[in-house]
Parts: sequence; structure tokens; C-alpha cells
Amino acid sequence: MTSDEQLILELQQGSDEAFTELFLRYRERVYGFFRRRMNDAAQAEELAQETFLAVLRAAQRYEPRATFRAYLFGIAFNILAAHRRKSVLNPTQPDRAPDEPSDPSGTNPENVIWVRQAVERLEAAEREVLLLREFEELSYEEIAKILRAPVNTVRSRLFRARMALREILAIAPRNLRGRK
Amino acid sequence: MTSSTHPFEQEEVMAYLDGELSANRAVSVAAHLRECTECAALAEQMRGVSSQLSNWSVEAAPASLTKNLEAARADHALVKETKRAGFAGWLTEKIPSFKNRWVLGAAGAAAGVVLLFALTLPTRRREQHSEGWAQLAYTEQLRSAETAPSKSAAGEVEAFIAQARPSPPPSPEPTQPMIARTASVSLIVKDFGPLEASVKAVAQRHNGYIASLNSASPQDAARTLSATLRIPSAQLESTIAELKQLGRVEQESQSGEEVTKEFTDRAARMKNARATEERLLDVLRNHTGQVKDILATEQEIARVRGDIEQMEADQRSLQTRVDFATVELSVQEEYKASLQGAPTAIGTRLRNAAVEGYRTVVESVIGFGVWALQSLPTVLLWGLVLFAPARWIWKRLRRPAVSQS
Repeated sequence: MTSDEQLILELQQGSDEAFTELFLRYRERVYGFFRRRMNDAAQAEELAQETFLAVLRAAQRYEPRATFRAYLFGIAFNILAAHRRKSVLNPTQPDRAPDEPSDPSGTNPENVIWVRQAVERLEAAEREVLLLREFEELSYEEIAKILRAPVNTVRSRLFRARMALREILAIAPRNLRGRK
Repeated sequence: MTSSTHPFEQEEVMAYLDGELSANRAVSVAAHLRECTECAALAEQMRGVSSQLSNWSVEAAPASLTKNLEAARADHALVKETKRAGFAGWLTEKIPSFKNRWVLGAAGAAAGVVLLFALTLPTRRREQHSEGWAQLAYTEQLRSAETAPSKSAAGEVEAFIAQARPSPPPSPEPTQPMIARTASVSLIVKDFGPLEASVKAVAQRHNGYIASLNSASPQDAARTLSATLRIPSAQLESTIAELKQLGRVEQESQSGEEVTKEFTDRAARMKNARATEERLLDVLRNHTGQVKDILATEQEIARVRGDIEQMEADQRSLQTRVDFATVELSVQEEYKASLQGAPTAIGTRLRNAAVEGYRTVVESVIGFGVWALQSLPTVLLWGLVLFAPARWIWKRLRRPAVSQS
């Protein structure tokens, strides 16, 4: 299997197939990246599309020092940050739609809602580190680069996030069932 | 739990689970976890949080993502044409939708980027575009057909193994010394006109390419050209010979950096990493453990795979340096001072000398002024500070002289 890094180097040489392959490899994960961070599926789709276009546009700027995955989610993160800034300036388009199950096709929707709500209760900075680690599977150093924070800060935020999440998840099922 | 009772901080236990510790440290933490029930419990909770989080799956990306991206790419390819058809009109049509100047400025910058991108985009890409996307749609069908049965847990593990299976080594072990060669040639030419074309032709004839090329034509001096050529190593000598025919050689040098050791070392490390990966995949294949163990193994495999891919990339870039020698060429036109007109008249020379003299005077006055402005405050300050002690010492020195007399 050709590595992602090889593919992006081929893309720099103008290979269309390389981009197609990268898109196929990362379509779900990039969509998931946005979908976990916003309730509006259409918006998530749009930003995922924007991310891939940015990869295409900025392929020349990729340097083989970083893994492609870190590079890709770095771009996705910047696009998300820009979108959030825009939403603040232009609040007619709310980022968060009213609650709806995030995973209609999931194996256990109740479980999903419960975990999602628990994550939403974390502090924003801690939540971001946690998501980048758990779902984007980036290393501490890669996360630190994306968030422009020291590695130690990333580590302690991640620790606090996991500890807090453990607490929330320990009491969450009762709350959830109590409401139903 | 404090570090006084435990040799490790809690964060370090977490870092261990995330595969973020150095090998030595990881071994110590692992040993500690076997002994300390408290830390083991913490590790267990951490794993629990991760596996609960893994429940949070999202729906598959909608098919429209592929379609819309395709359309957007087509738009990009068409930006150039849009510009010709009336970019200003297009812009004014879009402007009313913007709410403020800041957005407008950003949009302008973005449009600039898009335009630049479209202009530098190789024509080839536009031609291949529709073909590529037809293939994408096809590959996608194949993908969905492939991934459909892998919904079950066992299927997913198999899919993961298939995905993580090591790719064959990109290059065989070197049998002869690997040398990254660099050469530099300086030439003086009489006829500068066709030079650029000749240099390009030489590079092309030897299956090389021009990595960079700069030429300068200052008004009162000889024209210069500097270029970096990447030439297949085997053809380096003949290329240099041809380049030397373009003019008189002023300076020539060649050097080679032996990179065999670097290459072999990395190849060995890659081999080890692949073996590790293979072992981990075996563990995954014959797993009997719980979900968290599978998750931990998968994470470890992903990390090893990342390392391998990084090393492969480095190895390829080294290989390119060996395969393609670098030639730094710098060419200067022969200075044709005599051809640029009659020798300068005495009057002009005197005038030039006078101007030069005047300029020197002005320069030196300005230079002094600058120096004074820069240094005076410091001199004044130290003068003030040292005045009293100096005076005191002066008086002390004078007093004995007076008393002696």
C-alpha cells in the first residue's frame, strides 16, 4: 500500500489519482472530524469539502517532515476555527442545531447521545485535545503543533479531560435514564 | 496519590497508555503497573474512558460530498476562463452578499489565492480531470462493495490488518557505495543571448531538470545567470562537459557525500519496525482479549506504521539525492566595457571625481553625525557617573604633592 506521504508527494507532481486515493482514505475521518464538532450535518459536509480543496490547493506547501494525517487535520482544524469565527460575526447561521441524534444508523443511539453529551460538558480546550487524541489519533506533539501549545500543556489538558469525562460518564447514565 | 508514594505521575501512566513514553520509561511504568493496584486501577479507568468514547460513531459521509467536491474542483479549473470572461463582472455580482469590509478583504485574498492556483495549475491536470473523477466513482463502488461485509467485529479486525499490512520495501539494500554528488561550475561567456535556452537543452538532453534558474541583467554591468540543475548521477560527467563548452570555465568543483551508512542504518531500522508491526498484527489476529486490548494493539500498530512511513519517506528523498546529482551553474557575461562607447572624456572623469569627492565628504559628515548621536548619550551618562569619583581621585592625588612641597 502506498503511504499517505508518498501520495501527497505524487499530488505535488500533479497526480490526480493520488488525490483521489487520499480522498477515499480520509473522506470518512474528515467528515467525522467535523460531524463530532457540530450538529449540522450539511455544514460538516461543506467544511469537509473545503478541507479537501485546501489540501489540493496547498499540496505544494506540504513538507515530508510531518505525517500527512497531522497535516490534514491541521488544515481541518484551521478551517473549523475560521468557521467558528465567522459564526460569531454572523450569528444568523447557528453552529449548533437543536439536539438530534448524531448517529441515526449507529448500533446504539442512546449510548452515542450519552457519550456526546458527556464530551460537550467538558471545557472547550480540554475537549479539543481529547477529540484530536481519541478520534484523529494524533500524537501529543502533533496536537501541540496544531493547537500552538506546549506538549506539556496538551498532556495535562488531555489528562484533565479524561478524568473529567470519567466522572461525567459515571453519573451520566442515571441522569439520562432519569430524563427518559 | 502523589509522586512521593508512586514513582510516576498519573499523567505519565496516561502517556504510557498512549504510547508516548520512551522505551525505557515505558518498561518502568509497565513494571510499576504490575505491582501497584492503585495505578493499575487508574490505567483501567483511562482505558475505560477511551473504549466508551469509541462508541461515538458518526454516520457515513454523504455521497454528495464526493459529488460536490468534484464540482468544486471543476470550478477551480475554470477560474482562469472565468477571469477571461469577465472577472470584474463576476466579482461585482458576488460583492453585495458580503456584509463588511473585513470579509470583503479576506474574500479578495482568497480569490487571489484561487486565481494564482488556477494559473499555476498544470494544464495536464485539467485534461486528466474528468478521467480521474470517472475513476473515482468507479473505485468508490468497489470500495463500498469491499467494505460492506466487514461490519462485524472480526471483519473489522481483518480489514484493519489488511490495511496495516506492511508494504514491500521501496528500495533494495545498496550493493555499491551511495553517493550524493554535487558539482559547481562557473563560466564566462561571450554571447549571453541563447544561454538560457542552451542550459535548458543540456538539462533536457540528459534527462535532468532545472530546479531553479535566475538571470539578472543590470544596466551597467555584465549579465549573470545562476541555475541549479538536477541530473541523473550517471550523466553528471557528460553534462558538465557539455556545460563547459558553453563558455570559458572560471571555476569548477565536484564533491560527493557518502550516504551508504545512513541508508543502510535506516533500512535496518525499517526492517525491525516491520517485524514489530508483523508481530503486533499476529497478536491482533490471534486475539482472545477484551476490546480494550484490541484497541491498545491497534493503536500501537498505527504508531509503528507511522514510524515506518516516515522512514520510507526519508529513504526515498535520500534515494532521490543519490539518483539525481546537483549542478550549481553560474554564468557571467564577458564584460564588454570597451564596446559600450568611447573612452570617458577627461572632463567627465574630473566631474565624476568631484562628485565622488563631494559624496565622500557628505558621507563622512553624516557618518560622524550618526556616530555622535549614537554614542553621545552613553558618553554623557558615563561622564556624569564617573565625574565625582574622578574628581575625588584627582584631589587625593594632588593633595600629597601639595603637602610634600
